[in-house]
Amino acid sequence: MNAYAKYFVKKLFWYLVTLVIAVSLNFFLPRMIEGNPVAMIVSQMTKGMTDSDTIKRVYETFIQEFGVDKPLWQQFLIYVQNLFTGNLGTSFGLYPKKVTDILASAVPWTIGLQLPAILVGWILGNVLGAVAAYKKGVFDKVIFPVALFVNSIPFFTLAIIMLYVFALTLGWFPLSGGYDFQMIPQLSFEFIGSVIRHHTLPFLSIVLVTIGGQAIGMREMSIYELNADYVLYSKLLGIRDSRISRYVFRNAMLPQITGLALSIGTMVGGSLICEIVFSYPGIGTWLFTAIRQLDYPLISGCTLLIALSVLLANFTIDIIYGFIDPRIKASQMEDQ
Amino acid sequence: MTTNILEVSGLKTYYKTRLKEKVFAVDGVDFVLEEGKTLGIAGESGCGKSTLALSLMGFYFPPLHYGSGSIQIHGRDIMKLSKEQLRTQISGREIAYIPQAAMNALNPTLRIIRFIEDIMKEHRPELTKKQVWDMAVERFETLNLSPKVLRSYPNELSGGMKQRTVIAISTILNPKVLIADEPTSALDVTSQKAVIKLMKDLLDKQFIRSLVFITHELPLLYHVTDDIMVMYAGEIVERGTAEQMIFDPLHPYTKKLMGSIIVPEEGMKGHKLAAIPGTPPNLKHVPAGCRFAERCSYAQDQCRENNVAVKEVDGRQYRCHFDTGTLKEWYANEQS
Ligand SMILES: Nc1ncnc2c1ncn2[C@@H]1O[C@H](COP(=O)(O)OP(=O)(O)OP(=O)(O)O)[C@@H](O)[C@H]1O
Ligand code: SF4
Ligand SMILES: [Mg+2]
Repeated sequence: MNAYAKYFVKKLFWYLVTLVIAVSLNFFLPRMIEGNPVAMIVSQMTKGMTDSDTIKRVYETFIQEFGVDKPLWQQFLIYVQNLFTGNLGTSFGLYPKKVTDILASAVPWTIGLQLPAILVGWILGNVLGAVAAYKKGVFDKVIFPVALFVNSIPFFTLAIIMLYVFALTLGWFPLSGGYDFQMIPQLSFEFIGSVIRHHTLPFLSIVLVTIGGQAIGMREMSIYELNADYVLYSKLLGIRDSRISRYVFRNAMLPQITGLALSIGTMVGGSLICEIVFSYPGIGTWLFTAIRQLDYPLISGCTLLIALSVLLANFTIDIIYGFIDPRIKASQMEDQ
Repeated sequence: MTTNILEVSGLKTYYKTRLKEKVFAVDGVDFVLEEGKTLGIAGESGCGKSTLALSLMGFYFPPLHYGSGSIQIHGRDIMKLSKEQLRTQISGREIAYIPQAAMNALNPTLRIIRFIEDIMKEHRPELTKKQVWDMAVERFETLNLSPKVLRSYPNELSGGMKQRTVIAISTILNPKVLIADEPTSALDVTSQKAVIKLMKDLLDKQFIRSLVFITHELPLLYHVTDDIMVMYAGEIVERGTAEQMIFDPLHPYTKKLMGSIIVPEEGMKGHKLAAIPGTPPNLKHVPAGCRFAERCSYAQDQCRENNVAVKEVDGRQYRCHFDTGTLKEWYANEQS
């Protein structure tokens, strides 16, 4: 086996171990929250009913249906068994909807919100950061503090401020949701228009913080690279500035690409706060609802999805990096 | 008849610190280097050796600034050229440079051959990739370097190998003068020997015509260079043949410098050799009179008051108020 294959297998092994741990935690942690989900659901369903026998029967049916009467370890085995067939169970709160169906309906909203926002924010942030490092002077003196400021506001606060100013006070944008509730999702101009109006504020809030973080990182990296010895050495061999700038840009960019891959990978989990603040119908909002209802299968489903995407993103980065960055390649060689 | 390949007169360069203070690191340097000759430059840390090396390249990057003086290569004053002329006609072609931290001089994400290709794109654009490759392989083989290096990334090479690679790259355009700043300092003895051998090969094969070799290891210069120049506080304080400088120094500083290395005191073996007591003057405020006066055991009132001009005796130059007879008498008395 060559060094790279060994590296690959070793990484793969550790990611699998992590996955097993994540699956267990996803299952057990939510079930350790105090409370009885069935009682909550039944009390809602049987509101107005007086016959305690009927209530009791409904309660018992649900207990059986959800399988919460069995010991926890047995529930876990069933859960794992179902996982292999791609079955994440039935939601308690939205009974009898399947968890996978709920997730499938939520994922497009989350991705549709996050992916464009991350890409736009990442590109703008890196361009601004690189320009600030190259041009220095006034440009740097303005961009850098502004980026630092935006980056230091907690995202939650930023989102709420935007919601308050642009939705509540100015009324430019709707307050919550992914589209007007009266509408039926379809491919009409009106519906798409509604989606875009609802999309704007959460989108901008993510773009803003992404720009801030990326610009700061890129500026630091570029300044570091600009001062590297190879810049002076290349100049003194008569290499033109534009070519040297390309060296610098490329080297400063490599860590930023990790950042991009990571935020895309953590996208599903990364949008939690944004979705909750704007009541956007993605994974984050569902997770929030599920926790309030102690909807174990849905909580586990959401967190599993988040864990999977994070692990997958990291794994992909590790593997690709081993190919493209000779600095990592060299350290792999030393490891063996 | 010998021709002067490098002629430096009245060269003054300085650093401008963030606090706008000036550090006069090269403060009126004159010297001549004849074609085919090698010149060593020695002096304590902070005397301005590296600054001189960099200044000779004719390119100035902040915080280093050009003050005054001329640098002539084959009679052509490179300080009169535009930046673009300097880059396309001089850098790497007429005069090449090996920085003090040559280990870090290579872009970590560029294979060696790619960097050589980039150099050739500037200076020999008519060559195809294939021709560049053949040429590089031939050059590396001639210099007893494995052509495998060409396909490597810098981090895959050992320290000594990296240093030799940098030297081979710097001289690939057959520059007339090579300025090597401490090319052996960070290396073990075996690698040091390999580097010295490489320098000799470059001269023998006429890939370079002259060499300026900067180091603080004086014994090394004795075997490598024809002449030695000693630098102190931004000035040249003495110049002579290697033989004269090591066995018959004139200037009290050279004497101390050689003394501190060649005849270590009893019981000092294995220890770091005793440095000369005191430190070189702060180059922000250069003292009037002889710059060495504060540390010179022969200093007298006139030394501190009157600036010292360079004296020339039998083809040797030194910068001291006293004539050779007086100095030699002092040294003789000290020995007995
Ligand atoms: N970037 C800089 N800004 C300000 N001052 C500097 C800078 N670089 C060097 N100096 C100062 O210039 C003087 C000469 O430094 P230089 O590096 O040329 O010395 P050197 O003889 O090469 O020393 P060494 O043997 O340690 O390499 C020193 O006093 C140093 O403090
Ligand atoms: S001029 Fe005076 S202080 Fe300077 S080196 Fe000569 S003797 Fe020493
Ligand atoms: Mg130095």
